[in-house]
Amino acid sequence: MSEPQIDLTLADITRLEEIVDRGALGEVCRSFFDLFSLPIRVFSHDGTLLADVHETREICRYVNTLPKGRAACSGLVSEVKGIDPQDGVVVHPCFTGAVYRIVPIDYQGRRLGRFVIGPYLPAEVREVPRSLLVIDERLEAEKARAALTEMPRVREETAERLSDHLTHILDLIIFSGHRAFLTSQMHVASVRESYKVLSDKNAELQTAFDRLKELDRLKSNFLATVSHELRTPLTSIIGYSDMLATGIAGDLNEEQAEFVETIRGKGDHLLALISSLLDLGKLEQGNLPLRRELIGPRDLLEEVAKTMTPAAEKKGVQMKVQVEGALPPIAADPVRIKQVLFNLCENAVKFSPRGGDVTLGVRSVELESDGDGDGMGFVLMAAPKTALEISVSDQGPGIPSGEQQKIFDAFYQVDGSSTREHGGTGLGLSIVKRLVEAHGGQVWVDSVVGEGTTFSFTIPEGDE
Amino acid sequence: MQLDFKARELTIKLVYYGPALSGKTTNLQAIHRLVSAEVAGRLMTLETQDDRTLFFDLLPLSLNAGKGLQVRVKLFTVPGQVIHNATRRLVLQGADGVAFIADSQRTETKSNAASFVNLRQNLTDQGIEPASMPLVIQFNKRDLPDIRTDDEIDALASRGKEPVFKAVALRGVGVLETLMGLMEITWNRLEDEHRLSEKFGLTPGPLLAEFERHLGVAEAIQRVSR
Repeated sequence: MSEPQIDLTLADITRLEEIVDRGALGEVCRSFFDLFSLPIRVFSHDGTLLADVHETREICRYVNTLPKGRAACSGLVSEVKGIDPQDGVVVHPCFTGAVYRIVPIDYQGRRLGRFVIGPYLPAEVREVPRSLLVIDERLEAEKARAALTEMPRVREETAERLSDHLTHILDLIIFSGHRAFLTSQMHVASVRESYKVLSDKNAELQTAFDRLKELDRLKSNFLATVSHELRTPLTSIIGYSDMLATGIAGDLNEEQAEFVETIRGKGDHLLALISSLLDLGKLEQGNLPLRRELIGPRDLLEEVAKTMTPAAEKKGVQMKVQVEGALPPIAADPVRIKQVLFNLCENAVKFSPRGGDVTLGVRSVELESDGDGDGMGFVLMAAPKTALEISVSDQGPGIPSGEQQKIFDAFYQVDGSSTREHGGTGLGLSIVKRLVEAHGGQVWVDSVVGEGTTFSFTIPEGDE
Repeated sequence: MQLDFKARELTIKLVYYGPALSGKTTNLQAIHRLVSAEVAGRLMTLETQDDRTLFFDLLPLSLNAGKGLQVRVKLFTVPGQVIHNATRRLVLQGADGVAFIADSQRTETKSNAASFVNLRQNLTDQGIEPASMPLVIQFNKRDLPDIRTDDEIDALASRGKEPVFKAVALRGVGVLETLMGLMEITWNRLEDEHRLSEKFGLTPGPLLAEFERHLGVAEAIQRVSR
């Protein structure tokens, strides 16, 4: 079956069969025939027969038994088929005295086809017409007369009303079909049009996104380059103030020593800031290589606690290590894991009150795997996976719950003034987060204002 | 325009454009009601099943131009709502002339202008120079209070290029005048472009008079004004 073609520009139908279902048309014709016993045929404009409901009449059967009669009959049938009712209804006579009524099917000013009612006998015909009697020399007048009485008789006026009625029905069918078809075509066309608009918007967004990504890359490059260039002269500043402080260039009086110490202290702070920026830059670009090796968790925590002890004691804070049971070694980059722990411990000590404790803890936990995240094959995918959970707890002022997510953003501090009071770069936690994530772990914070804060992170066991 | 020489059939597409609720469909309904039944076919309203968004209305007219030429005029409306621009563009495709239906109420002045800008944009996007499109403007709803006055509109119209009509589409006033005005400038444009009088031996003046007679314009206008 060929695809129906409708020109959306003019919303025109060119062929009747594009819009009318042949089966349904056949049913309408059948019920017309059942009601009025009138044969009916529907043709498209090019003469294709679309529906045909008729019964062979006795007279037709009889005529067709005669050789000349058969020839005349088929000649007439093809003649009727070929009539195009150019200027309206055509009533075409048959030699039997019956007629065919040929009615045009027009729609929106265009000829789409025609239907033919008949043959039927006009009610006025009383006698066997001469045209029938002479059609074949073997024709028996009595037989013909008997056969003709069985032909349906219709008054011309009635035939006209019947064909008008059928014209209206067909018009309604065509109109409904046309409208339904146009609606669906418009749906498709407007979806296509909307899709085009969306695609254009997407392309614009993609361009903007690519530009932003490029800008982000440039920013990271800039940060890395500038940090590096800043660090070189800074090393000299720190080195020379160190030398001044140790008295290599001669003794310093008390005031000079204090000034030099300030220069050195601020220099160290600046260096830490720049190093953090460099780390952050590398982490953002994802090119910080991890050198994983097996580390014993207890040794790791004890080493970190020991290193932190002098700074903690200066503040009157005690470092504690709490290890639950025997723990398997973890595969992690020792330098980076220590960086994470030092960062967390420095924060903990910084915010602890005098006489407080900072506790390092570690325990083995089972991670819940959710398969691939969509719950599919969960029973198979949810294989138990272990991880080490390491925590650093303090008894400091705590972090309000509204702030707990933001503290992992770069340069964020809960209280802007705390940088001045407590020092720090505001980069520590964002570096911690990225380092832990680089190990495939997660970091989070539990805190109660006024009681203390616990930072925890997991390092999952490596995949086999 | 679509010309079928063999069938001697000419089809013209006229589009009723304008902001939402300015009376485009009402114009078509009035034409359907006013012109003779042999000329106007069924008014088709194409709406989506789910949200009753209008795709378009379509009113077909068929006119016998004489000398065996059948002229089919298809009147379309576009959906006025701003968001249905995709549909508007589809309906506007292949238009031979545009009737812009404006709402006379003062409060609608801005949406009239916005819709007109949208028309120009959509024509430009389809590669059509807006100034080359046969266009008439109708100020509808002349019976409402707080409308732009006749003097105001006349003063502006005298400075503009397009024929301007005033209408009360609900009552059928000015509707056929608008249609005939659009038919006239559209036919003249097609004549210039396709030399229809040479091809069919039909000169625009008498032909338009013939259309007017077919449509029963004079009688209808008399009926409406009574």
